[in-house]
Amino acid sequence: MNSIGTDILLAEESPEEAEVTIRALRREDMTPNIFVARDGEQALDFIFCRSKFAARSSDRPPKLILLDLKLPRVNGLEVLKQLKDDPRTRAIPAVILTSSQEEGALVRSYDLGANSYIQKPIDFEQFGRTMRTVGFYWMVINQLPSANQARKSAGQGGS
Amino acid sequence: MSATGTRMGEEAGKSVASKPQLHVLLLEGDSADRELILRELAKGEFEITSDVVQTAEEFRQRIRDQPPDVVLSDYNLGQWRGTEALEILREEGLDIPLILVSGALGDVTAVECIKQGVTDYVLKDSLARLSVALRGALKDKKSREERQRAQESLAQKVEELARSNRDLEQFAYVASHDLQEPLRMVAAYTQLLGERYRGKLDDQADKYINYAVDGAERMQSLIHDLLAFSRVGRQETELKNTDCNEVVGAALKDLQAAISESGAVVEREPLPWLKANESQLKQVFQNLLGNALKFRGAQAPVIHISAQRQGADWIFSVADNGIGISTENLESVFIIFNRLHTRTEYPGNGIGLAICKKIIERHGGSIEALPGADGGTILRFALPAGRPADIQESA
Amino acid sequence: MTTTLAEILLVEDNPADRDLTIDALAHRHWPSNISAVSDGAEALAFLRREGKYAAATRPNLVLLDLNLPRKDGRAVLADVKSDPALRRIPVVIFSTSQAPLDIERCYELKANSYVSKPSTLRDWMAAVKVVNEFWLGCACLPREEEQ
Repeated sequence: MNSIGTDILLAEESPEEAEVTIRALRREDMTPNIFVARDGEQALDFIFCRSKFAARSSDRPPKLILLDLKLPRVNGLEVLKQLKDDPRTRAIPAVILTSSQEEGALVRSYDLGANSYIQKPIDFEQFGRTMRTVGFYWMVINQLPSANQARKSAGQGGS
Repeated sequence: MSATGTRMGEEAGKSVASKPQLHVLLLEGDSADRELILRELAKGEFEITSDVVQTAEEFRQRIRDQPPDVVLSDYNLGQWRGTEALEILREEGLDIPLILVSGALGDVTAVECIKQGVTDYVLKDSLARLSVALRGALKDKKSREERQRAQESLAQKVEELARSNRDLEQFAYVASHDLQEPLRMVAAYTQLLGERYRGKLDDQADKYINYAVDGAERMQSLIHDLLAFSRVGRQETELKNTDCNEVVGAALKDLQAAISESGAVVEREPLPWLKANESQLKQVFQNLLGNALKFRGAQAPVIHISAQRQGADWIFSVADNGIGISTENLESVFIIFNRLHTRTEYPGNGIGLAICKKIIERHGGSIEALPGADGGTILRFALPAGRPADIQESA
Repeated sequence: MTTTLAEILLVEDNPADRDLTIDALAHRHWPSNISAVSDGAEALAFLRREGKYAAATRPNLVLLDLNLPRKDGRAVLADVKSDPALRRIPVVIFSTSQAPLDIERCYELKANSYVSKPSTLRDWMAAVKVVNEFWLGCACLPREEEQ
């Protein structure tokens, strides 16, 4: 697994929850580069190397996206939709991480192509444990698609 | 009168004293001159058969039907020139020497003709030179032909070697890939047998199980390494502008646990940018740094990473203070599966350096091992620096 | 987190691997009910509740090998993810191949996850343990009526 470049994009409005998530994702043998987007628009700009992130090389998209549904500006489902609609980015695994108890959010997320859906535990300790499992599963056990292949197979992608 | 262009019979080759044969095509309008030339040729060291043509079309036809060994041509052929015959020879793709046999030819014209490709020229009032000129022309042709044959033979051998290499790599890859699954079955189920029955049958059974498990695990390890090795050859070595500092950083990150555990100190000098395959280069550093950590001495490992420009290359150096490599082993460490120590002393199959070598060589570089100043080892490898215009150095 | 027993469909043609996986899942923290089929056509029949599988329970999770007889795993994946009745079911590829092209292709075909079959027993058990912990313990899986 190539650890050069951003590994994880975490789209999370709450700084406290982002902090717990980041800490849980970092272990002695695993220190992924994590970028935190505070709202949906920032997340999209980061993913598509637009606007403030125009200087980012589209050669190295994030390898994994952790996405809260409740995001200001552009909500998580919309981010998910755009991510999975675009051939350049749809292979990037996107895991929904939400406290939303909203009916239908689960179904809607899987419908839009979310790779997985996680309800954030309310208990602080449990949240940490869950995130550690999430990190370990997606970064170690699971095989992530390699960035170069994603670009190549999508061709030049539409925009 | 011209003789017909028939070759002499077989008897020519039998007697040692007989002259070598030569078929000559004469481009000469004047019959008296023709006679003179033929008579001169007959005096020489060759058994001559000859043919005469006058026009360009005749010439072209004749060289197609029966290519001569040499063309003797007048410069001035009425409607056309001897030098045009050269063109026709070229068009027909024939490597036949053309000697101009001409009346007075100014020096300038003579040099021009030679430049155009005329092999030699002989003046009609010094026909005695003809033999010498012929000999020279034929000798040149012979060496040209020999050289070409040698080149073709070499090209063919290179192609065969390349193909054989590809086949071998394909085989190594397929074999190791397909062997993995049945091997996994053997390894997993012997282990399960062990877990289930160890201590429940007799000592002998326990021993058998342990040997089986051990053997299966070693097979797996070897196949895994073989696969890694042959994968290097299979991937396209896509070269991109790479910051070697970042690559080393990533490799160190992956080795973090081993570094903290051994209390290792890693000293890094600034490294250049160059065109490389990032993930393969990372593998190289990982292997070299991993070795430096593994083959450590009693003290904590101290590893020094640096690079120096030398001509068209960057020479990278990974130096350690470990157990070192004895002089007689400095070359063989790069051989696949070659191990210098027992498995109980140091783990591993002995493939790390073989992989490094393969990767470096695919990048157009070279690698060597040297003894370090105080007993450790220096691994040095060269990589082409590339043209400055190609490499962008941005922060 | 599923409160009822999770239903897992294991699609694996190698009986040794199948048994290993079932064994590994059996001793885990989050129990599940495992159905196993050994080729791609059977897998789809099971999912669509056709023929002898008319009474089958729809799985909450599919573990899918790629090299299958009768219908290749990639084809099964493509069919499942284009079938509106089935596409929400998370499909985890569980395959020997570590080739980046295979991995990429599966994600393009909308596989939810890709796990390479580890080569040692210990790693296999560990991987299945984490698969179990994540999918059954952390993730929320679509329920039958939501599919």
